[in-house]
Amino acid sequence: MEEPILNVERVSYRYHDTIPALLNVSLSLKQGEKFALIGTNGSGKSTLLRVMSGLLLPDSGRIFFKGREVTERSLRQRGFLKFFRAGVGYIFQDPDVQLFSPTVLDELVFGPMQLGIPHVEALERAQAVIKMLHIEALTKRPPYMLSEGEKKKVAVGSVLTMNPEVLLLDEPTGGLDPRTQCFLTELIFELNEAGKTILVSTHDLTLVDELQPTVGVLSEEHTIERVGAADAILGDEDLLLRVNLIHEHMHYHGVLAHAHRHSHYLYHRH
Amino acid sequence: MRSQIPEFLLKRSNDSYGSPCTKGRTRGSRFFDRSLDHFAAFIKSTCIHWDGAQRQGLMQQLDPRVKLMFLFVFMAIISAKKTVMPEAAIGLFILILAGLSRLNLAAFYSKVLFLGFFFGFLVVLPSCLNLVSGGSVAWPLIHLSRQYEIWIYRIPQTIGITRQGLEGVLLITVRVINSLSLSFLIIHTTPFSEIIKALKALRVPDLFLMIITLSYKYIFVFAETVEDFHLARKSKVVEADASETRDWIAQRLAFLFRKTRAHCEKIYEAMLARGFSGDMVFGELHNMKSADIVAGAFMLVAGMCLILT
Repeated sequence: MEEPILNVERVSYRYHDTIPALLNVSLSLKQGEKFALIGTNGSGKSTLLRVMSGLLLPDSGRIFFKGREVTERSLRQRGFLKFFRAGVGYIFQDPDVQLFSPTVLDELVFGPMQLGIPHVEALERAQAVIKMLHIEALTKRPPYMLSEGEKKKVAVGSVLTMNPEVLLLDEPTGGLDPRTQCFLTELIFELNEAGKTILVSTHDLTLVDELQPTVGVLSEEHTIERVGAADAILGDEDLLLRVNLIHEHMHYHGVLAHAHRHSHYLYHRH
Repeated sequence: MRSQIPEFLLKRSNDSYGSPCTKGRTRGSRFFDRSLDHFAAFIKSTCIHWDGAQRQGLMQQLDPRVKLMFLFVFMAIISAKKTVMPEAAIGLFILILAGLSRLNLAAFYSKVLFLGFFFGFLVVLPSCLNLVSGGSVAWPLIHLSRQYEIWIYRIPQTIGITRQGLEGVLLITVRVINSLSLSFLIIHTTPFSEIIKALKALRVPDLFLMIITLSYKYIFVFAETVEDFHLARKSKVVEADASETRDWIAQRLAFLFRKTRAHCEKIYEAMLARGFSGDMVFGELHNMKSADIVAGAFMLVAGMCLILT
């Protein structure tokens, strides 16, 4: 059996030592897999991504990248830190916090330079990513002069220039216009086809339906409720209702008012 | 789109960066990283006190107006006392109250002593030298060939720590620790909304209440934003030199300032949109119980005893 590229074993995490965010969560990502982590707001999706990217250390449980344990100690070793950061890229939900260089171009070369890639090669990578993301006109602009969609593209680009094997995307399409959403969805597809392992956290069931990934469902109790194929998960209305990803509500059809299960994305059956 | 995926993204080249080895010597975590981590955690843990305020302890049972009066009266007493012993007695009294309020004393006093050390002891430490204030030298440090007069300053021939200076440092440090522990005791045993209502009942101006209410809410946004900045940087940084870190801090400060201004304007507009006209309107506080009046009287008597000693 193929060894998972990123493995989470029985991880728990609490904020301020009191508020639970993750309880005994286990998850495996295979090389080249598309995976979607779905759950309601506050179910712990972002926390799990931060733990998987070594930014937060779990209260208990273990994380493995390519079979090597990611710990506070191992991340203090420059060699391993470089190996891990080159391998796992994390794209934050809020691009504002991720973009900190003076210009878009500086932002794109920052990551590769950190890995010790020569400046010329880093620039070549940045130019290639700029072309791929169609952001040629933005290269000299400071990040605060960008629209939300542009910021998101630059945030994605700033991680792609590091060429990570695993991409962790936190709500990649949240708050974006339909065109940018479509662009990013296609990009995720293409990157996965190019061999990248993708983990997307979202409560957008349309995105799940489009990507058809393996799906992990985080419950409101901060545990993994179920892992399965997209079709099976999206077809299980009871499960989605239980974890509050769809709901029952009343509305009108002409003059007829009635109540039924409803998601703003997929389910609107009578 | 496939044709546009750059060549380098199709390669699996990551094994050439760094080392997968997890054993061996490690570098210490950077002062900067530790500071930012602790800063955000400290702000949150200091401001989040609903946990302590919900415990069934002595101070939690009292009316917030009584607690605020207790705070103001004892603050005045702490500032008025001129010797260490009464200050120590006040410190002991606060410790007993914190214990009876079922607070986690170790966590409580670690915050108090940490802040007391910086804002009390370190700030006044130079005053124990005879360069700053006069007195008999108890601990000579440097002996010069002669005394110097520079403008209005006098550098004595023997520079050292004075007995009076040491007493002053000790007194001020204990005062700061007492003031902090008293403030923290009230903050940790009273929900923030109750404090604001009590301040309103005590006729504190609305403008002041609005400023502290908004500041209190903003501090969490601020701490969270700082933490996010740090994590975002940490996710890409492998080796940062000092100048790069300084640039990053300056850039982030400027960004935070811009974001704060925009946030303030939006909040104010949201308040206006919901009918805010300058008056802070809060729910009523409950009537005082006889236990509140007894506790208030007891604290007043304790305060009078401390003034007279």
